[in-house]
Amino acid sequence: MNDVIIRVASESDLDAIMVIEHASFGSTAWPRESMAFELEPNPARHYFVAHDAGTMVGYGGISLVAGHHGDIMTIAIAAEHRGRGLGRRLMNSMLEVAKSQKAAEVFLEVRADNEVAQSLYRSLGFEQIDLRRGYYQPENIDAVIMKLDFTNTDSSGTPGPRVAAAPATGGKSDPLVLGIESSCDETGIGIVRGTTLLANVIASSMDQHARFGGVVPEIAARAHLEALQPAIREALKTAQVSLLDLDAIAVTNGPGLAGALMVGVGAAKALAVATGKPLYAVNHLVGHVGVDVLERGEVQTPTIALLVSGGHTSLLLVRDLLDDVELLGETIDDAAGEAFDKVARLLGLGYPGGPQIDKAAADGNPAAIRFPRGLTLPKDMDKHRYDFSFSGLKTAVARWVEVAESKGEDFSVADVAASFREAVVEVLVGKAVAACQAHNVPRLLLGGGVVANRRLRDVAAARCAESDIELRIPALDLCTDNGAMIAALGAQLVMAGREASSLNFAADSTLPVTQVQSI
Amino acid sequence: MSTFLAIDTSGGTSVAIVHNGEALGEIVIDDPMGHSENIGYALVEVLHEAGLAPQELSAVVVGRGPAPFTGLRVGIAAAIAFAQGIGKPLLGVVSHDAIARDFFATISDNDRAAIDAGSSLLVTTDARRKEVYWSLYSGLDSLGAPICVDGPHVEKPHDLEDQLDQKNVQRITTDIALSAVSLAQVAAANLAGGHTLTDVTALYLRAPDAVEPKAHGKFGKQVSS
Repeated sequence: MNDVIIRVASESDLDAIMVIEHASFGSTAWPRESMAFELEPNPARHYFVAHDAGTMVGYGGISLVAGHHGDIMTIAIAAEHRGRGLGRRLMNSMLEVAKSQKAAEVFLEVRADNEVAQSLYRSLGFEQIDLRRGYYQPENIDAVIMKLDFTNTDSSGTPGPRVAAAPATGGKSDPLVLGIESSCDETGIGIVRGTTLLANVIASSMDQHARFGGVVPEIAARAHLEALQPAIREALKTAQVSLLDLDAIAVTNGPGLAGALMVGVGAAKALAVATGKPLYAVNHLVGHVGVDVLERGEVQTPTIALLVSGGHTSLLLVRDLLDDVELLGETIDDAAGEAFDKVARLLGLGYPGGPQIDKAAADGNPAAIRFPRGLTLPKDMDKHRYDFSFSGLKTAVARWVEVAESKGEDFSVADVAASFREAVVEVLVGKAVAACQAHNVPRLLLGGGVVANRRLRDVAAARCAESDIELRIPALDLCTDNGAMIAALGAQLVMAGREASSLNFAADSTLPVTQVQSI
Repeated sequence: MSTFLAIDTSGGTSVAIVHNGEALGEIVIDDPMGHSENIGYALVEVLHEAGLAPQELSAVVVGRGPAPFTGLRVGIAAAIAFAQGIGKPLLGVVSHDAIARDFFATISDNDRAAIDAGSSLLVTTDARRKEVYWSLYSGLDSLGAPICVDGPHVEKPHDLEDQLDQKNVQRITTDIALSAVSLAQVAAANLAGGHTLTDVTALYLRAPDAVEPKAHGKFGKQVSS
């Protein structure tokens, strides 16, 4: 029996499988075409075969919805090889994949008259949940529907084949992790050891977007492809490590620009396969929160996090960095950074708008013009208490300038810039502080590129001091998009003993913040 | 002795491992989307099929397109990272070359006669937006590398026809699908011919869609600050 190996099935196994299929299932055997289809490469199908000295003696397959459930599609052992425990080994291989892809439960159906099989399934933890009368025709045999609930069983079982990139490193302390970030216009490669920052290389395509007044997704994605290899090389050099030294690789798989994300995801998966390192797909926004471990060794929770950039304006309640992140609110139209860009363009200032507005506003009077504060009226508190809206503000600025121009008035750009900035900052800080108070959370963490804005930092500091809220602002190159925060979050997952992601996860432009790791 | 991993995402996701010209494994996922989902699985599977560890590969070959944007980049990004991961060379090949090589390697007598009479092979692939990418090939050189006489370019199909008619280009077409195995074979033939294949830039053949906003010049002059 030790000579029997279990391996992943391939399309070339079709002939041998069909021989056993016909012998085992007779008139109810699957047609050859159906089996061929099952064996095609498909991330949602996992077929294994048992091989005894070059002869196929059994096979089995599972259909999986990663993160959800699995269905045992079929399992058969050649008659003369039954009773050797091969069915159990095939089942274990399939269940191992189901477990690695975080399926919560696995279903199967079995003939009511097949006592041997049922007892095997029961010994693996399956329980009968239903009976379908006369399911197997023409013999009119009932089908027993069984379910294995992974949440009720311990995780013992024989190790399965390697379908995920590589096994997780099992709670290793101070793991060396390389992080890849490509969700917007910054190609970020970071390397950390545990909570220690070793390298943070950022290649930005910002200059290429300048003449368009905002990030052009296709330009950003093209730039990622070009920046990737040199950035990885530079990060390794800075950290003085080689790829072989790594314990894991982490990559942003969302949210962000789809085409841009895909460059990082494609590269990360290939790098993981090439080096045999486990891969962790992590959430960009949670990365902005997790980066604090690099400065303080941990993210103190609970904390409110205000993430403000050209792509995001989100208010999070973080009760636990890896397991409990809640989205309290986000922008319902433009991101704050986008509003800065648009208003800067309107005022004839350069790109990116944030620093330009900051500069222009330096001598301005923030109270000169009362621009609207989006979603702060009592009527908004019901549905949009923690949401943001900057589109109306941008229009209000445009209208104000238009009117002033049409009257031929000589107005102060400094006052307009300062008043606009004040409206943005007041809403951002106001809602963040309100969230701290409402949820009884004495901490506020800022992240995202707009944190570079001086006024935002000053107002946040003042308001937090008034309300006894501890304010955390990571260093600026850790606030803007970067790979170090992705590596840092990846390292947290490794240290917590989390399993690696599968290789099947998608780049998800609208990945919810509740999904810290994609599996 | 060469053992190439070839990756092409100019259409679906195709990967192959080719040892001295012979395919040890090939995975074709015919999905014109989903490249970033499929690529990791495809790489694991093809290594498994070939029974090789990544370190046993001698180079990575990548199809540079032409192809429309997003999917193409996934393959090139993966190839760049894989080559870096195993510390082996990365070789770039025009994806159309793989189709041309397949065509000439399995050419029918009729087509052979047409080529000998001066016709060229016209390779076209979907460029979306009602356009095609196209290249013209005259045959294979003595080492088996396709000889491209024009292209790759992007054009509307009827403009392409007009243009080729005007130049009196006799052509035959093929419906052969791209194979990563052929891509690796093209790379080997080119290397044998002394080409280095170091260019792995993506062949989009189109500028990014982006419009420069109108300048707000008028009021820039009028204001004080």
